[in-house]
Amino acid sequence: MSVVEETRLDAKIPGGPIEDKWEKHQFEMKLVAPNNKRKFDVIVVGTGLAGAAAAASLAELGYNVTNLCIQDSPRRAHSIAAQGGINAAKNYPNDGDSVMRLFYDTVKGGDYRSREANVYRLAHVSNLIIDQCVAQGVPFAREYGGLLANRTFGGAQVSRTFYARGQTGQQLLLGAYGSLMRQVEHGKVKLFPRREMLDVVVVDGVARGVVARNLMTGEFETYCGHAVLLCTGGYGNAYYLSTNAKGSNVTAAWRAYKRGAYFANPCFTQIHPTCIPVSGDYQSKLTLMSESLRNDGRVWVPKSADDKRPATEIPDEDRDYYLERRYPAFGNMVPRDVASRAAKERCDAGYGVGETGMAVFLDFKDAIARDGEDVIHQKYGNLFHMYKKITDEDPYHVPMRIYPAVHYTMGGLWVDYNLESTLPGLFVLGEANFSDHGANRLGASALMQGLADGYFVAPYTIANHLAGRQLPRVTTHHPAFQESLVDSRNRLERIRNVNGERSVDSIHRELGHIMWNDCGMSRTAQGLNDAIDKITALREEFWQNVKVLGKGEALNQNLEHAGRVADFLEFGELLARDALERQESCGGHFREEHQTAENEAMRDDENFCHVAAWEYQGTDSPATRHTEPLTFETVKLTQRSYK
Amino acid sequence: MSSLKLTLKVWRQPSRDEAGQFHTYHLEDVSTEMSFLEMLDVLNENLIAQDEEPVAFDHDCREGICGMCSLMINGQAHGPDNETTTCQLHMRHFRDGDTIVIEPWRAKAFPVIRDLVVDRSALDRVIAAGGYVSVNCGSAPDANAVLVPKTDADKAMDAAACIGCGACVAACKNASAMLFVGAKVSQMALLPQGKPERASRVLNMVARMDEEGFGNCTNTAECEAACPAGISLSNIARLNREYLKAALTAAN
Amino acid sequence: MTSLIRALSSSIGKKLLMSVTGLALCGFLVVHLSGNLLLYVGAAEYDAYAHALHAQKILLPIAETGLFLLFILHIALGLITAGENRAAREVKYDTQRSKVIDPSSKGAPNLASKLMVPTGLIVLMFLLIHLGHFKLGIISPGDDASEAAKAGRILSEGFTQVVYLIGTLVLGIHLFHGFQSAFQTMGLNHPKYTPLIKTFGFIFAVCIGLGFASFPAMGYLGRFKETETQTTENRAETPTSITQRK
Repeated sequence: MSVVEETRLDAKIPGGPIEDKWEKHQFEMKLVAPNNKRKFDVIVVGTGLAGAAAAASLAELGYNVTNLCIQDSPRRAHSIAAQGGINAAKNYPNDGDSVMRLFYDTVKGGDYRSREANVYRLAHVSNLIIDQCVAQGVPFAREYGGLLANRTFGGAQVSRTFYARGQTGQQLLLGAYGSLMRQVEHGKVKLFPRREMLDVVVVDGVARGVVARNLMTGEFETYCGHAVLLCTGGYGNAYYLSTNAKGSNVTAAWRAYKRGAYFANPCFTQIHPTCIPVSGDYQSKLTLMSESLRNDGRVWVPKSADDKRPATEIPDEDRDYYLERRYPAFGNMVPRDVASRAAKERCDAGYGVGETGMAVFLDFKDAIARDGEDVIHQKYGNLFHMYKKITDEDPYHVPMRIYPAVHYTMGGLWVDYNLESTLPGLFVLGEANFSDHGANRLGASALMQGLADGYFVAPYTIANHLAGRQLPRVTTHHPAFQESLVDSRNRLERIRNVNGERSVDSIHRELGHIMWNDCGMSRTAQGLNDAIDKITALREEFWQNVKVLGKGEALNQNLEHAGRVADFLEFGELLARDALERQESCGGHFREEHQTAENEAMRDDENFCHVAAWEYQGTDSPATRHTEPLTFETVKLTQRSYK
Repeated sequence: MSSLKLTLKVWRQPSRDEAGQFHTYHLEDVSTEMSFLEMLDVLNENLIAQDEEPVAFDHDCREGICGMCSLMINGQAHGPDNETTTCQLHMRHFRDGDTIVIEPWRAKAFPVIRDLVVDRSALDRVIAAGGYVSVNCGSAPDANAVLVPKTDADKAMDAAACIGCGACVAACKNASAMLFVGAKVSQMALLPQGKPERASRVLNMVARMDEEGFGNCTNTAECEAACPAGISLSNIARLNREYLKAALTAAN
Repeated sequence: MTSLIRALSSSIGKKLLMSVTGLALCGFLVVHLSGNLLLYVGAAEYDAYAHALHAQKILLPIAETGLFLLFILHIALGLITAGENRAAREVKYDTQRSKVIDPSSKGAPNLASKLMVPTGLIVLMFLLIHLGHFKLGIISPGDDASEAAKAGRILSEGFTQVVYLIGTLVLGIHLFHGFQSAFQTMGLNHPKYTPLIKTFGFIFAVCIGLGFASFPAMGYLGRFKETETQTTENRAETPTSITQRK
């Protein structure tokens, strides 16, 4: 059903050895003279790590920045929720880390579906990020001597993760937010909170502005500039239940896609195994707990599906420690995707625990017996506290219940080495782009990428666009702006005028069920085809039967949600199609047809060692699949194994 | 898991300029496992089914870190639990048959936008007045070039944990923002990176805080008790200290 | 200098001035109470003290002016900030409930802290009546033989006993929060010393409050009937006290 075109996308990767590409490129790119920078207006959408860092840095350089965010304050972007830490190749602990090793680990961790040159640059600038953040007053953890502390994370063999308690994302974001607010005070950044971007305005083939809705008043506004930076995060909420914030959505990226930016690898979603399970139909989001819990916790379900005894009364011989049984070497420490799939398999087979049957136990009984409660408290006290707060169960005495949840999306808008999308003048940063994590993101790498893009990549590469292209004077009076504005307004009006019976939330939940069941951690051609049919039907139902109350010209959260769900209903289909076309298993994308005898993911490097980038072809035609072949010159392609 | 029958007295206000009033709603089968916001989700689904506009309330991460959720619940900012945001408050803290009064944050500096949604941008403007270190990107020295004693870093982190929700203002009888400002001033005053702008920062932030119309601090400690991030009152003392020092030593 | 004036007129500046004036007034209270306590030692001692005090022709007016300014500043700032605080929340809550679990452990005596304006106003009224009695002589004036006799007479009146008892106990409540709060406002907060300051503030408030309250209480119990007659008997020996006042 889809048209696969072997159009080769040009990623504009600079030549030369991988170590020199970025410096060489920095030299070769055009510069904007200091006095000319004030003549350029740049629009940044989003104020997360990527957005706030880019807006602040561009303003520091002298550009006039317009910065929009969907929340009431730029400090609330969802980057704030990242717990674990941020990687950098500082090698402070003297344990053998280097830029090359961080690069290597990230490419391998991404299951060889990321672009080597981008990843190397990411590792290269990682050290600068730490310097910048420390200078901003980010209170990273310290050793008694006053030096920065490091820890290992996500199974890395070196200690390269910098952290600020369990709130690293918060502290890094507040650092960037401080820099941003400084520029707001200087008048170099015009900040527009509670604005939702609804369209990219394209003039003569170049992105020259955006249309946004003022969420407080419902008014539609247009913003004009010489470049647009999308820093709008990931699309995990297509699954309804995820660890994302409720407001996280795909709308900005999706509108850009419809204006000519290709969407790359949408099927690469990351599912995290240790989340607090769903407790009922009303569940609105899921909460992640650090996967470090699996260092000491043992995962099990009852051997008999009918065993309804309380967990503490089930003796060892009636427990199935299924990860230890299936993966004797790695046991409970198998990678995220393996652990997640195994939990789903047990629950689907009827062995799930808890009231909903959609959870498995993570038991600390043996660890407490071995190390004592104090040691466990020191290691996981805050997580145990959080778990108790949410579930009202004490994990020191009864096993935790866990279940996997959608956590991060590696796919996103396709960008070249300059972070520019296929729509000229439209740059995409952070989780919103696809570039650095391949098919699977390593722990503590999301923060690194957001800040790298915002502080150290986009401020350089944008100059190449501003100085290198003819950008005629355009104002918001240009017909293209009015056209986009009217489009956006009409669309929301259409939604309001459906006057149906079903609430937005119920449709979103149903979409989430489809996505989770058929496009979740384990996918089949059959399931994906079904999903496409079901999503299409649900989308039709939405446009005929959705019920949105209230005015358009006021704060109307229901209408906002409806607009986002309408986009998820289109995007979900693309995700399923991408998953269907990628007939291999890699990273977060597991196709049941493509696995080894030991149920491990089987990559197909011959046919799928490429990025799939989708081009919009209008509402009635299927999107076109383009590819960007991936070549691995530095890191050798190997198959991972946990035996 | 048990279920509750609740009476909700919710503040409804169509817009900033229109008058508001309480509406009373009855809700049945509220699971004790629900979070407070999930309970409001259920209320809203019911309202939509009855063709009544849903209640607007701010929320985003729903894991207690973004600071977007608010709500005065039975007269307590973020409800009865300690060091908890509304999104992390669970219905098991309530009893069957309870009446729950839900109001927006109230302060002159936080005008109501609609229903339970208020405008907290005054807090952003206070930060803009100086709540940062003025370092441009790209010029930072090596991260380990300046040593920071662990105890100072820990104290700075305690203060930096502020989530900017505004509960301190909401809970204070004077709608004072001193805990919020004290937290940021303390974080920066404790770290060597914050030293160069130490005096100007505190003077400017306090001046902006006053301009925004927050009240004066009476040291009642309601802010500390309401703070979901556990920010200590000692940060207000440090703010006072920093302010006094800066005011006395200012050149002009 | 402009920056200093600006700083002192800021929210923190005003509270700082209130703290400093408040603590200075605490000092006055100690002196005042010490003098008053002489009434328990003996009428003669009390009169001698009053005598010596009033003999200070230069220092006393200076001290009284200073005291007057301290009061005015403290009261004015109290009223100004109270007005600002009211304005900071235009629409009141329907329901408001404290979240401070244990007031003593959380430091600020929570209830007292919320009543600083009402308690301050009550103390102010009491102060005005007190001045009317002893300074201006416009409330229940009398032809007393001595200062002790005057005190004894006034404290024996039912009206005085009620007003003074309320005034002094409310003063204690005002100090209960005010004393330790002043240290916090001046930035003096330390994990080691703050608990000591709080304990001391509590003891201070109790001592001052009960110390002063003892006079109307004793007046009620008839303690000063004696003083009144005693001093009347001694009148011939100390004839100067009243004439000096006039």
